[in-house]
Amino acid sequence: MGLSPHPLEPFRPLSEEELDEWEEAYAAVEAYLQALRLRNRLLVAELVRGILARASERQKSEPEKAARLLAMEETLSEIAEWTQDVLDVPLENRRLAARGRLALLLAGMPGKWQGVFLTPAPWPPEFVDAMKKSYLAAGPKFAELSMVPKPLEFNAIGSGAAQWWETMDRQPIIRLMFVILLVSLIAVTLWYFLLD
Amino acid sequence: MEESDPTTRDSTPPFSGRFRTILRRTAFFGSVLVVNIVATLWLTDLFWLMGFQNAHTPLVAIFALLNGMLVLGSFHAIFGAFDMLLGRKRSVRISQLAEGKTGPFSYRHAVVMPVYNEDSVRTCARIEAMYRSIEATGNLDSFDFFILSDTRDLDLWVKEETSWTNLCRNLDAFGRIYYRRRKTNENRKAGNIGDFVRTWGGNYESMLVLDADSLMDGADIVKMTRIMEAYPRLGILQTPPKLIRGQSVFTRLQQFAMRLYGPLFIRGLNFWQLSGGSYWGHNALIRVKPFSEFCELPALPGREPFGGRILSHDFVEAALMVAQGWEVWLAWDIEGTYEESPPTLVDHLIRDRRWCQGNLQHMWLIFARKLPFSVRMHLFMGIMAYLGSPIWFLFLALGTWVARERVSSDLSILPFENYAARWFHINGVEQSIILTMAVFALLFLPKILAVIGAVMTGSIRRSFGGGFRIIIGALFETIVSMLLAPCIMAAHTLMVLSIILGRAVGWGNQNRETDGTSWGDAFRFHAFQTILGIVWTWIALEISPVFTAWMSPILLGLLLSAPVSVWTSRSRYGRALAKRKILAIPEELNPPDIILLADAAHAAVDPALDASLHARRGVVAAVVDPYVNGVHVSLLEHSELTAADEILAERCLSEGPAGLSKSELSELLYLAPAMLMMHRAVWLRPAERMHGVWTQAVESYRRRLDHSPSVEVS
Repeated sequence: MGLSPHPLEPFRPLSEEELDEWEEAYAAVEAYLQALRLRNRLLVAELVRGILARASERQKSEPEKAARLLAMEETLSEIAEWTQDVLDVPLENRRLAARGRLALLLAGMPGKWQGVFLTPAPWPPEFVDAMKKSYLAAGPKFAELSMVPKPLEFNAIGSGAAQWWETMDRQPIIRLMFVILLVSLIAVTLWYFLLD
Repeated sequence: MEESDPTTRDSTPPFSGRFRTILRRTAFFGSVLVVNIVATLWLTDLFWLMGFQNAHTPLVAIFALLNGMLVLGSFHAIFGAFDMLLGRKRSVRISQLAEGKTGPFSYRHAVVMPVYNEDSVRTCARIEAMYRSIEATGNLDSFDFFILSDTRDLDLWVKEETSWTNLCRNLDAFGRIYYRRRKTNENRKAGNIGDFVRTWGGNYESMLVLDADSLMDGADIVKMTRIMEAYPRLGILQTPPKLIRGQSVFTRLQQFAMRLYGPLFIRGLNFWQLSGGSYWGHNALIRVKPFSEFCELPALPGREPFGGRILSHDFVEAALMVAQGWEVWLAWDIEGTYEESPPTLVDHLIRDRRWCQGNLQHMWLIFARKLPFSVRMHLFMGIMAYLGSPIWFLFLALGTWVARERVSSDLSILPFENYAARWFHINGVEQSIILTMAVFALLFLPKILAVIGAVMTGSIRRSFGGGFRIIIGALFETIVSMLLAPCIMAAHTLMVLSIILGRAVGWGNQNRETDGTSWGDAFRFHAFQTILGIVWTWIALEISPVFTAWMSPILLGLLLSAPVSVWTSRSRYGRALAKRKILAIPEELNPPDIILLADAAHAAVDPALDASLHARRGVVAAVVDPYVNGVHVSLLEHSELTAADEILAERCLSEGPAGLSKSELSELLYLAPAMLMMHRAVWLRPAERMHGVWTQAVESYRRRLDHSPSVEVS
């Protein structure tokens, strides 16, 4: 990817403020690469340097943008474009960025292919295969069955009870009368069995 | 799906004939009826001697009901023991249909695990163990696995996605283990399974339904599947799961009791139910086609708690299957089937509240047409499991009333003979002692039979750690369960009352691990039992010391409910018992392969994809972490970012996830473009333009990755 040996060369001499700004950009890019679980420090340092070089180039034409913003934009677009090249699919929408990151994970990039990450073609066929085969599916092909509830068929007691229950649900006055009747019945029963 | 065809089903001879079924059921229920009638007449005769009062009438009626349930329970154990003595060859064993069967399966089968706010690492570990176990049998190609999530906790949702992805990555199981989450959890677990059947059911001949804490041995799953393929009349094949991994005293007691006494009851149950069995909601294989045709549950008349959606769906699904001519069997000899139980008495009662409402709803089904006898019996037993408590409470309260009346009226035994005196030449005291002894015998006979059987059978004795440990464990379990019974009775009584008063329950997730119940919680939760115990003890002492002594097992249980609840909830006491192999079960002393596999399973955990770290957990990880975001977005349906979505995403960025309501955050998590936009934003924006939670998460990556991940895990 044509790394510049001195990414900050165009800006020298750098003020303390500019140094802090580029330090912030460095830390952000490094953090993102670490979030991608790149473990090799040398590799990370080299990738960060390359990304910062491109960001510094852009800053010449976009001086209003902060170094961190430029560096992170470069990081995200470079990863998206690179995964697009590896997957050999057009970058139709932002969703492909997620597809690319998923492919990196499922292909085992952090464990097996760190050295390949963001390198120019050709890539090992095994890595490309693994990237292309990676996808997630919540289920196999649909094979639908219908499930339709069949109403319960009650006997005479059940039908009567259901009708009565629904009537009580609909009409609170009847429910209240029923409750009063029930409580009275319980009271009479208790009186008969316990007090009489 | 030829095998699900009713024509094929009906042309297959039944495994157990109609004559045998009628004979067994007549013998079983006839015995229960005879013993119960004799005991009830005996009590009536005793009351007659005492001078029959009005209050004796309800006492006799309630005794008949309660004693009937007691005899029914005991006779399961007695008939189970009888079935065991007959020997394995002469018992009815559906799994013999799988014997000698090898080779590839004719159909595909699914293993489905519904989950609701569970620890995804643990559920995935169980899936991994079962996957590897089936793989070892060489039949993996015939099975697909589904994790069916109804999880409402959004952090846990993201963790489920990462655990599942790691599981599939590490087992190379993409396209074999699937994960899907329902946006709305309509109709709870039954709806979750129903959704699976409607969407993918047509791919499978049968589905093995699990719970989130279920674990089953691969060879046994394969055996069950062979039975399903070999026997077209089979609709549901239920296994008897064993409780495992008990840490607290409470769970150790439960798993010991279930392991030692359970087989007797299971054999007794199989003795009479045969092809008219029941379904317990999990660890069961179900034929998908008839399930889809007949098991969409209808709503019950009226509203919850008695009407509306059926909460305890499993019994009803089995009932509907049996009613349509499909057989439901209990595969009692399937050994490798496990589950876990709530860790404390409080958790147990919270779960019971839900089950209680569900079982009471089944009262409607008692009046349904076309339900066979066995189905009505299962429903009746399920209802009585909870309704029995208030009836027992009423019996004790009436008994106390009668005793108080008797003491205050100064009545003496009437000077005439009753039947017992005339026929057996015994007085009233002897008669009451005989009845008490009979009731106690019925209560303890299952335990005694189980202990004798275990001690006398070398292999069982050794598997429990020896005869001494079996006897000590059984004595310990008996004492604690006697103390727990009144507390549970009072709690169930309250549950039934609250349901009658119209209070419906929600659907809480189950606590599977705990450090124990605090004293404050215990006294709050068991306040009713404790106060009831104090009042009742005072009344009993007022009546007489003798009556208090008779009532002491009940009164002690109520008075000590809070301390017993706390004490049995402690894992450290459980561990102390485990160290001495007290209340040990064979699966603990000599863990089977499937449990060892589950213990060793770790495929769901991988630092490359982790949404459980302190600074970036769940939802935060789904936004910030490139891989978690990639996984999450890949599982969403594609949509376009609308202005409203963007506003919501911006609010989340500026206010943090806590600034959004749960429904807003849930909605946002379903928007793929918004999730991608937020991922970009948190990495591009300066700290001052977003909430601190995002900055912290981004900062958390600045630590070197060679720091141990365990340091980062909170």
